[in-house]
Amino acid sequence: MSEMTERAPYGRRKRRDEDLSANADSPRDSRPYRNETYYGRPSIKPSHWGWLIAGYYFTGGLGGGAQVIATVVDLASPERDRTIVRAGRYISLAALLASPPLLIADLHTPVRFYNMLRIVRPTSPMSIGSWALSVFGLFAGLTAVAQGVEDLTGSTVARRAARWLSVPAAGMGMVMAGYTGALSAATSVPLWAAIPRALPTLFGLASTASALAAITLAAEARNAPEGTQHRLERLSLIIGVGELALHAIISQIWRARDVAGPIETPKLGALHKYGMVGLGAALPVAIHAAQQLTGRRSRTGTIIAAAATLAGVFIERLVIVFGGNESARSATDYLRFTQPRKPRMGQNRIVSDDGETQSGTTNR
Amino acid sequence: MSEMVERYPTVAPPRALDYPEAIMPHPMRDESELTAGVRIVPGRDYGFFTDTSLCIGCKACEVACKEWNALPADNIGLTGESYDNTAALSATTWRHVAFVEQISTAADERATTMQPYQSNWLMMSDICKHCENAACLEACPTGALFYTEFGTVVVQQDICNGCGYCVPACPFGVIMTSKIDGKAHKCTLCYDRLKGGLEPACAKACPTDSIQFGELRELQERAQRRLTTLHARGVPNAALYGAPGTPGTTGGIGPLHAFFLLLDRPERYGLPVAPTLPSTRVRLAFLAGLATMTGVVIAAAATFLNGRK
Repeated sequence: MSEMTERAPYGRRKRRDEDLSANADSPRDSRPYRNETYYGRPSIKPSHWGWLIAGYYFTGGLGGGAQVIATVVDLASPERDRTIVRAGRYISLAALLASPPLLIADLHTPVRFYNMLRIVRPTSPMSIGSWALSVFGLFAGLTAVAQGVEDLTGSTVARRAARWLSVPAAGMGMVMAGYTGALSAATSVPLWAAIPRALPTLFGLASTASALAAITLAAEARNAPEGTQHRLERLSLIIGVGELALHAIISQIWRARDVAGPIETPKLGALHKYGMVGLGAALPVAIHAAQQLTGRRSRTGTIIAAAATLAGVFIERLVIVFGGNESARSATDYLRFTQPRKPRMGQNRIVSDDGETQSGTTNR
Repeated sequence: MSEMVERYPTVAPPRALDYPEAIMPHPMRDESELTAGVRIVPGRDYGFFTDTSLCIGCKACEVACKEWNALPADNIGLTGESYDNTAALSATTWRHVAFVEQISTAADERATTMQPYQSNWLMMSDICKHCENAACLEACPTGALFYTEFGTVVVQQDICNGCGYCVPACPFGVIMTSKIDGKAHKCTLCYDRLKGGLEPACAKACPTDSIQFGELRELQERAQRRLTTLHARGVPNAALYGAPGTPGTTGGIGPLHAFFLLLDRPERYGLPVAPTLPSTRVRLAFLAGLATMTGVVIAAAATFLNGRK
């Protein structure tokens, strides 16, 4: 390994964007793609992800979201909503403790888990996520410890320490809540790659919603003040409405890019419709909206909404993970997804064989 | 014809005369110079040009690859898909010969009226593309995958922890994790052989020179010449895949260091026409996630700063 190399071992190669129309000697079949495949065999390989990774998407998002909520509430209204701060920090710790075992168990060579922190690779959401989880774990853990000391001794020093420690924890929590969406989108899987913006957005909102639901249940158990519950519910409603809108947008994009197949199968379709959208967003939004509008809050309604949110968000992770694997297994989905797209407005220029610039759309 | 002369000089290269022994007393230095006409120098880019118009579907490349790399047998059985019982590239199969029988389904066209011999067969030896910008490498969180001094992409088996993120990242479905040892595996373009100055096993075993090993730039020029020849001979369907400016190099992937000459549209061989490099979506996705959470923070702050007691 002592030879001089032209590029550094981990160096990035020069990016060259290739223009398909530039090569005159390679005429392409100009017939439109009619679902030709190689014996229907998939052209990409699915991830091996399943319940463990769906579980991690859930716990990681829950932990990150809870830390963000707890920190914001600690800074915005530390006294009247103290229940939220405490619950948020402990929930974050619990979710945090569950996360690394899920990830490590999912490795094919778990004893080498530490190699995840061997390098920093900005092109790999898995690398960024490993570091984010580590830093988040450190600060969220310390925050919870400081909170515990405060709870046991009533120390104001511990309280101030918890606040300072929770700020970087919340910063990393913001990454934790949504990065798993980036992790999925930065693959070749059509179902995920079709929504690189919407998927992290959805995951961020879903993580927040699940964190709010868990905090709501804790607040209910601790008989938090009515005002605290009211504010929690209002925020849940805002997030839920956002989720509903996003579900509509995502379904639209999936259909437009012709990759919605896996989500339209009987099993995943039902989970998507009734679990992910219905249980995870529509039902809680309906309950929250009714309670906010009438101004009367029932304990049962709140608990049902929170439980539905938690279940729905977990189903959402399952649908995305298993749907993506199905998407990768569909030969036509990927080969259709990777057809050259028509140039966008203002870019519809093609260079002809003799270098002359023509306008119009390429006929591919 | 001139091409053949160029590839196979009638006079043995002078170096061949250096080894008159029947049994070699030592390994041949720079053996690839004799077998592939190229000296392997670290720092230069090497690759494969797989000319499917020459492939006869003998699977010698598959066997040579398995032999040299000591890969276990897999999928023993029949697929019912022509002569292809290998089915796909995997952790233990790094060369895969695809077979397509172009039998017309048109009612008025009979096999006897179709073009004879190999014209109705598509055979193609598929392999890791050793992309200019490799999606698997960019996805790898451990740094197990690296660009070698020969312009290829290799997994370091002592570092890989089998996270499997490279698997869905690959736009060509090449790399795969193995349940046998829990690591990711794919073609190394015979990194060990290149180190020793030997041509990769599959290319050396190929009896028709469908698989050609060489310096990438030289191979690309050779491929262009071959394409021109084929077009002149009346094979209008011939097209390159993975050479600069051709399908497979789109979306930031760049030229493939193992590229192909195909006789039908890429999809017939299971190859995507315009794949994209997954890492091009990373920044966008992260910004979307962070923007969302910033929105959440603002909404939460607004909710908890106001509101009734």
